[in-house]
Amino acid sequence: MTTLQAALSGALVGGMFAVMAAGLSLTWGMLRVINLAHFGLILVGAYLTFELATSWGLDPILTIVVTVPLMFLVGAGLQWAFDRLGVEGFASLLVSFGLLIIVMQTVSNVWSADFQRMEGDVNPYATGSVSIGRFVFPAPTLIAFVFAVVIVVAADQVLRRTFAGRALRAFAEDRAVASAFGIDHRRLGMVLAGLSAASAAVAGMLFALGNAVTPSTPFEWIGIVFAVVILGGIGQVGGVLLAGVLVGTLSAVVSATWSPALSPLVLFSAIILALLFRPHGLLTPASRGAR
Amino acid sequence: MLEVRELEAWYGQAQALWGVDLSVADGEVVSIVGPNGAGKSTLVQSIAGLHRSTRGTIAVDGVDLTRVPAHRVGDHGVALVPEGRRVFARMTVHDNLVLGAYRRSARPGLADGLARVHSLFPRLAERSSQLAGSLSGGEQQMLAIGRALLAQPRLLLMDEPSLGLAPVVVDEVFDAIRAINADGVSVLLVEQDVERALEVSARGYVLAEGRIVASGSSAELTGSALVRRSVLGL
Repeated sequence: MTTLQAALSGALVGGMFAVMAAGLSLTWGMLRVINLAHFGLILVGAYLTFELATSWGLDPILTIVVTVPLMFLVGAGLQWAFDRLGVEGFASLLVSFGLLIIVMQTVSNVWSADFQRMEGDVNPYATGSVSIGRFVFPAPTLIAFVFAVVIVVAADQVLRRTFAGRALRAFAEDRAVASAFGIDHRRLGMVLAGLSAASAAVAGMLFALGNAVTPSTPFEWIGIVFAVVILGGIGQVGGVLLAGVLVGTLSAVVSATWSPALSPLVLFSAIILALLFRPHGLLTPASRGAR
Repeated sequence: MLEVRELEAWYGQAQALWGVDLSVADGEVVSIVGPNGAGKSTLVQSIAGLHRSTRGTIAVDGVDLTRVPAHRVGDHGVALVPEGRRVFARMTVHDNLVLGAYRRSARPGLADGLARVHSLFPRLAERSSQLAGSLSGGEQQMLAIGRALLAQPRLLLMDEPSLGLAPVVVDEVFDAIRAINADGVSVLLVEQDVERALEVSARGYVLAEGRIVASGSSAELTGSALVRRSVLGL
């Protein structure tokens, strides 16, 4: 019973990791930019939600009306700079790590290094929960899961069915030929990076809804979120949701039945095993991943 | 349609093309033949805007394309069937074709274009929902041609369309070139299969070591001793 409850809660928590991982996976797969600064954007998103809800009295979920457009511009601007400076691949990992550290330090200067959490009077969702049968689900994780499904399904449909989505997939495969068919990689790259940053704003809001945040919180995310991205298949947005749910479930079950301390050990061992059999992600059979 | 004047191209310090002059008139099929490494692909890539280290002019209907970014070259009616096919392997046949009509001006013609390509290559209609990477080499070549046709070109650049294909499939590809040309599309055809290329085209140029060494009607070139020596090595 408690194990099942833990598994279900873990699956919902996995939804939040999926939202964090979706943008990272797409810019990595499509633009070949491994953007660690993405975690910095999530962090800023979380603090902005805290600030807007606490000082302005905005509903925490509605703060994304402000943070999403703001982050879109930041992400698009960042990609513009990366593109101009030729930052991609391994170089992008190093440059964006530097940016992440700068963001974390700046956040620390603005909001101090202490834990910040939205009080109950500004965050009506913190203590809420939904009971289904004998199971209880805290409102923040339930909300995160709903956002995850919406974001992932929307992104997947856009990639499959729209001209822009097809153009991105074509660009990821063969830049030269894609440009011969009129695909302007600069503009498309900025839009994608902007949307990815916008999803970081949502992820930050979702995290702030149920957790206290400090400037060093991104270090808790990086390992799990990278695992979700790689397990889901780099650039495959549908895989991100599946991987997020699996990772969340496994980690919660191990914590509940054995010990929270063992959870990372079991989790990352399982990921290594999974990648031995599916090196290009859970949804891609090993034989098809070869290029 | 196409006027190339005094074109030179480099790879770093290494020069690949020297003073290439050529032209393609409206509705014409023109072939460029020559041995491996003659610069044929460099020439095509330069016209398509994918190779930018050039000097000279490449004009389509009087507009110089040498400063136009690659993704804008198609606006002037040029489409490319690249060497080695280079279809988008992880996308479906249908999505590859739709992408051909990515340019805003080509989108209204998408439905008609798909119908035309499906009648030209019925096998692409059957395999519409398959991943392009799972097609045979011949089917991939048809897809590469179909994708370029959906861009609604007035000039089609074809880089070695018969390379690595079975003889039966090569027949299909050359039949398609005739059909496309009959629709009024000009074709610049780069080929290693000299006899076939000269059969389908009215005129041709022989490119060797980065220079045009002969040009003329296909009949003249077919009988030319120079062509036999420089291209076929006979």
